[in-house]
Amino acid sequence: MRKINFLIVVLSGILFLLSCTPAKEKLYTKNRVAMDTFITVTVASSSDRDAEKAMDRALAEIERLSVLFNYFSEGSEVSLINRNAGIRPVVVSKETVDIIEQALSVSRETDGAFDITIGPVMALWDFHHGVLPEEQAVKARLELVGYRHVEVDREKRTVFLRKKGMQIDLGGIAKGYGADKAVEILKKNGIRAGLVAVAGDIKAFGMKPGRSSWRIGIRDPRQGNDTKEIFASLPLREQAISTSGDYERFFFRSGVRYHHLLDPKTGYPASGCRSVSVVTGEGALTDAFSTGIFVLGPRKGMETLRRLGFDGVIVDSNGVVSLTEGIKGSIAFSEKKS
Amino acid sequence: MLLLFLLFLSLYSFFFIRQALPQGAELEIEVSGELRYALPLSTNKTVEVEGPLGRTVIEVKEGRARIKDSPCRNRICMHQGWIRSGAVVCLPNRVMIRVTGTAGRREMDAISG
Repeated sequence: MRKINFLIVVLSGILFLLSCTPAKEKLYTKNRVAMDTFITVTVASSSDRDAEKAMDRALAEIERLSVLFNYFSEGSEVSLINRNAGIRPVVVSKETVDIIEQALSVSRETDGAFDITIGPVMALWDFHHGVLPEEQAVKARLELVGYRHVEVDREKRTVFLRKKGMQIDLGGIAKGYGADKAVEILKKNGIRAGLVAVAGDIKAFGMKPGRSSWRIGIRDPRQGNDTKEIFASLPLREQAISTSGDYERFFFRSGVRYHHLLDPKTGYPASGCRSVSVVTGEGALTDAFSTGIFVLGPRKGMETLRRLGFDGVIVDSNGVVSLTEGIKGSIAFSEKKS
Repeated sequence: MLLLFLLFLSLYSFFFIRQALPQGAELEIEVSGELRYALPLSTNKTVEVEGPLGRTVIEVKEGRARIKDSPCRNRICMHQGWIRSGAVVCLPNRVMIRVTGTAGRREMDAISG
């Protein structure tokens, strides 16, 4: 009889503890290569199957978009638009119209500092082999740059580049847009918290298991040997973050750093910043504005962030860090500031 | 009774402590999104994985890791050098090495930039 009592006590104990942890949520992660970069999707879920299904669908959506937006692929809608520059408007998908309209609105807000028509000038630069383009060639190609020459007809779903030779490249906005769309898919599939990172363009929603916020590190623009060393971190809730820096693709010539963030007005790398991080609700906006603000420089860039009500971190060319008001209370710096 | 209770308590503590305490840093090696290896960063080891282009060699040494050899053309992954945190990705050969489970402040959900 006493043995039975012992067993009852032990079993009750086990059942009590199990009742405290019903279907515990875990974090699941999946990676894939698309949009010429590495994508990580993380979700909180209490079901392996639900998590897998949602992550696969989110990744498939990014892959689908990357086919539409690929500058280098003959079959993409972007290539179709570029081939028909100066010839005729082309009918494209709703997503292509959508992303181009968003890109044009960022161009207007940054007075052309972000411009998807920079492609012909960008093509002259070879950052991998460190080739400086001819000044005359840059000047000539600048004639083809100008977001005002992009015509979008939302009703007819057409896009037209007015000048022959013009090209659009959505590389400066597509990753953030992809993160937005992947988050939409995760939510539609019942995920209540997750994080999509398309390279450094990151969008988060909900809280991690344990009710903590997602924490995002900002890469140190002048890191040492330890790649991806961060200089600051901040919590991200229902927001996106993107960072543009002069360290991504660059070469040195006569002591000058030539990097890939070109000023669409000059055709040469913008000076004034080492890196710019932008935080707001939409990934497409953080992606495009981080480039636009970088090109505008620290002073005009900070003014633009404040005017639009976005948060941001600007590291200027001397390593001085400026923050918007909204970020001051939550950002944490690592010991070594850049 | 006491014995059973103690046995139960020790079993529960074992699982609880495993969950509550931070684990040491690990290196995860993935090929085409599939996890191939997860090994402690504290080990000294050289690991080889096969990607679509061929064999990538990863070296783990003294709490650091790097891509030591790669069949990709530009070898950008190799130039990234040693890492103690974050990740190195070889896009052409679809190989990613990533440090996870680092206790403390530097554990991030993602890195922007």
